Amino acid sequence: MTTEPIGLAQDLAPKGVMRAQIGHADMAIWRSTSGVISAWENRCPHRGMRLSHGFVRGESLACAYHGWHYDCDAKCHYIPAHPELEPPSTIRPAIYSVVEKAGIIWVNTAGTATPAELPDRLLGLRTITMQCDLSTAAHAIASAAQTNAALFNGSVNDINSDQTILSLANPNGTDGICILFQQPLAQSTVIHVLAHDSYSQNELIAISRWCESVRREAERIMQSSNKVEPAK
Amino acid sequence: MTGLEHAQKYWYPVAMLGELNDGQTKNTQLLGTEISVCGSNEESVTVSSAGQLLAVQCQYDHVWTTFSDDPYPLFAIPEAEEPGRRFVPCGVVRVSCSPLRAVENFLDIAHFPFVHTGVLGAEPHTEVYKYDVQIDEKHDEVFATNIRFFQPQASKSAEGSIETEYIYRVPAPMAAILYKTCPPKPEAMDVITLFVQPIDEETCDVWPWMALYDDTSTMADLIQFQQLIFVQDRSILENQLPRKLPIDPGHEIPTKADLTSIAYRRWLKKRGAYYGALEKI
Ligand code: FES
Ligand SMILES: [Fe+2]
Repeated sequence: MTTEPIGLAQDLAPKGVMRAQIGHADMAIWRSTSGVISAWENRCPHRGMRLSHGFVRGESLACAYHGWHYDCDAKCHYIPAHPELEPPSTIRPAIYSVVEKAGIIWVNTAGTATPAELPDRLLGLRTITMQCDLSTAAHAIASAAQTNAALFNGSVNDINSDQTILSLANPNGTDGICILFQQPLAQSTVIHVLAHDSYSQNELIAISRWCESVRREAERIMQSSNKVEPAK
Repeated sequence: MTGLEHAQKYWYPVAMLGELNDGQTKNTQLLGTEISVCGSNEESVTVSSAGQLLAVQCQYDHVWTTFSDDPYPLFAIPEAEEPGRRFVPCGVVRVSCSPLRAVENFLDIAHFPFVHTGVLGAEPHTEVYKYDVQIDEKHDEVFATNIRFFQPQASKSAEGSIETEYIYRVPAPMAAILYKTCPPKPEAMDVITLFVQPIDEETCDVWPWMALYDDTSTMADLIQFQQLIFVQDRSILENQLPRKLPIDPGHEIPTKADLTSIAYRRWLKKRGAYYGALEKI
């Protein structure tokens, strides 16, 4: 299993909880009040409640169902139904390796998270979910970049060998935006968009709108190819 | 016998008597099979599946059916005969979860302060005191007694917070009956039941029904109160993983507060009630 980008660090504020999926792995990512980030299997060991529905209290995540408290090491330290009880140390959800780098949250569900190398001076712009597979999303992005001379010069580079990170140069040929792909499920793709810090506010808005139009186009391509399939 | 074959030997609710109209057919599903309910009252109602008529009985304001020629008898609720009680069918709530998870949640009190905050529970009153669970050998039912819990608004008829007493019966794998303190009539107990219609192993229709001593609340208020509670429960039930109930110990970690749930899972396993259960991980 590789290290996957699952979100922008700026979208997970202190006391925030979010859900992410990579393949069959359903996970809860949360940030404590002091800023410590954790990524766990999204299943409370007690009765299976998704921990991404929980709420942060100080340095603990409390499950939404019976309020069991887990600390940043995933150890359960408080069971409200038995306030006097010291919970056994075996009660802990499965934990995943998580790191933040270049404004991105990276998770590895089967080893130590080692983020990809990215160009300097990128800032998180937004995360978008597309109802299509990864290759349809990548194609839609590449062809849309060719036709938008105001934002990009048309050159699309793979940053890594498995083509899950693309960089699009700006009209001057220097660093533009960087798109990180995450494939939670076969039929959906999440992209995390980073933009160079030299873009103006208006350009960032234009890029954000461009991303939306790419999503619609990718989903349209996916739908029409799905319609063809049963005829085979 | 498979889990499905076992489940087919029970009676299930498939409609509320009051919701049926003459000349209209209600199409629904039971244990993965399409069924149709026709007729409007105890005399005229029929249930059929693929053109075959199924056995029918009307009890507790609901229409019940079974796929078996020799089913287990429908469980008795003696309080349904008691004069002075108001009988309140509360309608239906569709939940994407195993029918067994829905029953187990109904037997759980530790979640009240977190899921039914300010109504059935409130922090800091989160402690679950010691209570008793037995298997009632005569009726082969799970029976939990001596449950006490602090409740800010125990029922529509409660004025302010009270310590409520609970008793639970599980008379069938997909039904549970709760007896709880009746605020206007301390010598009696209100009855609240959960009748579950298994649509398939991971979907169910839940039919709450009540037999209360409450002469003042309107029917609409009573139903709305109970519907609110079940909608809150649904937000939990649709987010439990896995969707089927893990019936073997080891997959989930219970505590003392979960004695009823532990007994329920054992009782299901012993009788082979595996429909909606996750047998092996
Ligand atoms: S399921 Fe999480 S505390 Fe019970
Ligand atoms: Fe509940």
